[in-house]
Amino acid sequence: MSYLSTSNFLDDKDFVDKWLYTMRTGELDLSWINAATEKAKPQLQNPRRGLTYRDLDLGSYGFTGVPEKVRDNRSYAPRGAEMPPGLPDAQPEVSRKSELWAFNTEGYYEEAVTRQWNATTDIPWERLEGAELPEAIGKALSQLMTFLTEVEMIATDTPAKWLPRLNPEFIEVRAFIASQAMDEARHAEVFRKRALTTGWGLMKASPMNEMALKHLRDADSFSEMSLALHLVAEGNVLTMFRFSEYLSPTDVDKKIFRLVMQDEARHVGYGMQHFKWVLENFPEKRDILHKHLDEAENISFAAGAATELTESFIVLAGGGLKPENIEKGIRITTQFQLKQMEEHFERLDKCGMPERKERSKLYMMYEMGKAAAEQAGLKI
Amino acid sequence: MIKFPSIDYFEALKARMAAEQERFRRLGFIDATFAVKVSDNGRSRNFVLEFEVFELKNVREVEGVDLKQVDFAIEGEARVWREMIENIKRHGEADADHDLNTLTHFGEQLKIAYDNPDGHDKLYRFMESIQEFFDLSSGLDVSFTN
Amino acid sequence: MAFYADKDYTQDQEVLQAMQEVMQGHLTLHWYDAKTERIKGKPADYRRGLTYRDLDVGSYGYTNVPEDLRRHQSMAARGSEKWGKLPDMGYLVNRKSEVWSDNVTDLYEEDKSRRWAPAIDVPWTEADAPSDQVEAACAQLYTFLQECALVSLDFPSRWVPLINQEFLELKSFMCAQMLDWARLLEAFRKRALLGGQGLKRASVSAEQGLKEWLWAETYSQGSISINLSLAGFLLAVFRQVAAFAPRKADRVLMGFAMQDAARQAAYGLGNLRYLLSHRPAQKVAVEEYLDLTEHVMVALFGSPELLEPMIVICGGGLEAAQISAGRAATAKFIRLVVREYMERLESAGLSGRRTRSRIPAVVDRIAAS
Repeated sequence: MSYLSTSNFLDDKDFVDKWLYTMRTGELDLSWINAATEKAKPQLQNPRRGLTYRDLDLGSYGFTGVPEKVRDNRSYAPRGAEMPPGLPDAQPEVSRKSELWAFNTEGYYEEAVTRQWNATTDIPWERLEGAELPEAIGKALSQLMTFLTEVEMIATDTPAKWLPRLNPEFIEVRAFIASQAMDEARHAEVFRKRALTTGWGLMKASPMNEMALKHLRDADSFSEMSLALHLVAEGNVLTMFRFSEYLSPTDVDKKIFRLVMQDEARHVGYGMQHFKWVLENFPEKRDILHKHLDEAENISFAAGAATELTESFIVLAGGGLKPENIEKGIRITTQFQLKQMEEHFERLDKCGMPERKERSKLYMMYEMGKAAAEQAGLKI
Repeated sequence: MIKFPSIDYFEALKARMAAEQERFRRLGFIDATFAVKVSDNGRSRNFVLEFEVFELKNVREVEGVDLKQVDFAIEGEARVWREMIENIKRHGEADADHDLNTLTHFGEQLKIAYDNPDGHDKLYRFMESIQEFFDLSSGLDVSFTN
Repeated sequence: MAFYADKDYTQDQEVLQAMQEVMQGHLTLHWYDAKTERIKGKPADYRRGLTYRDLDVGSYGYTNVPEDLRRHQSMAARGSEKWGKLPDMGYLVNRKSEVWSDNVTDLYEEDKSRRWAPAIDVPWTEADAPSDQVEAACAQLYTFLQECALVSLDFPSRWVPLINQEFLELKSFMCAQMLDWARLLEAFRKRALLGGQGLKRASVSAEQGLKEWLWAETYSQGSISINLSLAGFLLAVFRQVAAFAPRKADRVLMGFAMQDAARQAAYGLGNLRYLLSHRPAQKVAVEEYLDLTEHVMVALFGSPELLEPMIVICGGGLEAAQISAGRAATAKFIRLVVREYMERLESAGLSGRRTRSRIPAVVDRIAAS
């Protein structure tokens, strides 16, 4: 299952002879100097921001000018380069802009590159020296961290799976995916490190959530993948990070959650903008995306049955295992779960799918849960 | 005045590197041990510099360089080293013709010796830090033995 | 391709009941006494922070990951308690010797600590523009380098989802490589366009060869090609351009680029060394693979889209004396690449490659001329 180039260049006498001739005589062909390409000079729109992809959004080089269907480039030629005959086919499977584009993709990428932090050195691990959490809190925190380290890298593997299948014309999207891959590796790292510094180590894997990971990984199209990953899953996780920051038992944990939520918000931002773009530019996909959401929401709901996660959240939120702790923990966890669902539908609404509520079984469960919570006197 | 080559010279750079921790922290970890060999009229003086994390941990003068004990060695005639250091002093940093990469690239002015390609590659992995280390010379008054 | 859950959970009474029980305060706490190793990790060196090496302990560590992974096909974290029905993620790379390198965790930590941002770390606006001819050569060279970057980005992306999650540190390094190449692609594109000449021509020979390397049948083969051969080649290109840099932007950009490429070459060398030391029988297959694919080096060297701009940049222009100087410098570059390539292969355990390979004989003809 490998590719062999059209020529073995060691056996290509003409090629080798031409190379050696050039080296021997200095006679240069120089036809590349007058390549059939556009002359364009970027200007730095904001010198404090440096030279950005947005500054390069000019003519045939820019992302704005990429057509809906990329028909003329299937090679590794960078966008705007002259393409001589004989370039190989990179076998892209996604050459349609509305399948993957999002407003501000280039902005998200530039932001990611400048906002890279380091799980090794930017977390004050030394402050955990001698800090002991009560057993219940320590174990609950370890369990939460075990879940988070388990799931984070699906957001590396899944987009990475798509990256080489995207037409190389979509440089900025590929770049953003690469930045996300690194973000998620860092998240898996920081959560693993935190679990292994609690004194309890890792705890139990989460089969229900692993099912969700499998669903994310095996989507039929990039848009469906992005919807389920960036919007549904990462949207849920973003809400979880915010609540976790609020519940953090130490300032080290607060710092961890503040840093990861920055990255996560960026991914959700791309997801929302892409979803909007698809609905506006590829309206035929609406029903397909609804069907994908049916499944994504089913699996999202199933995660509520992952008791190792729900219970550890309750214990952390309530501050322990006593009945009054559990009661408090349940209240906060209920608020969190309802908030997750509320924000999920808000995102879909803002992106141009308000009708989702009418169709969604998850929305039905949300309404029931909200009613029950309000009856119990909970503020949502 | 600090003489080059000497332990005092490298100790002075070490102190300046420690004083500019933030600058070196920004560049990242540097974990390499390399030798500096300065030759003059067939004789040489050899120094081993041990870098760890963000600092120069240790510098010592040795009789001969055992390439198995270092990642790589930068070797050159005293006049080349002098030209580089004077250039750094004049410009505040090495210019295009006098930075380490240019001087070592073809091995014609300064030469890189190594026992193992892993060690050799460390020069390039940490190039920015090593260059900025030598650029610290701009803050020293250096005299030369040749 | 899509995966569907085994049931509609919103309608499943057993699941709804279980959820309700918990939310009514009847916690199962089945996770509370997980059967895992207790550990309180801490940094060995606080200046370095908390590294993966600090956590290379017991069931959590990478050292103890066995050669063959037969029982772990999910994303469950290494060392956690696996239970219930964990799905099969479809990993196709499950042997440590295929992917590992003894230096990979250190390289990952180094990569993170040595990050840079092309938009702001390269002095794009310093006014030191070279002649139009040299600038055109730069535009061509950086067009070529974008092609190399696109391929280098694709390699870790293709393989990372297929590699078992137990090799967490290696996968993390691959993610770091992905960002490295996205960043270099960005930097090369910006530099190509900076001078106002526009991009130039894509290279047929280079792309054909690079596709052959990228689309290798196994990870090991691809790693030899992309992480060792290509990274070593590009490292030398970056050093060459830095040495003859027409602009300060080139010198600075290439300073960062060479760091990234050297790290990748270090992994490539380490990976091959690990493979050959743990599975010496693979030596035959590796030699055969190199026999088949080493010609891509020639495709790169001989690509006019690299060769000619390099001559112009190194010589400083198109005058006869400049071309002559540029040729001499380019000849040295070619010999440097081949020498270092052979050194890396030899160091990895492929002694005798120098005599077996066809490359030196071709390169010697340059020296002879």
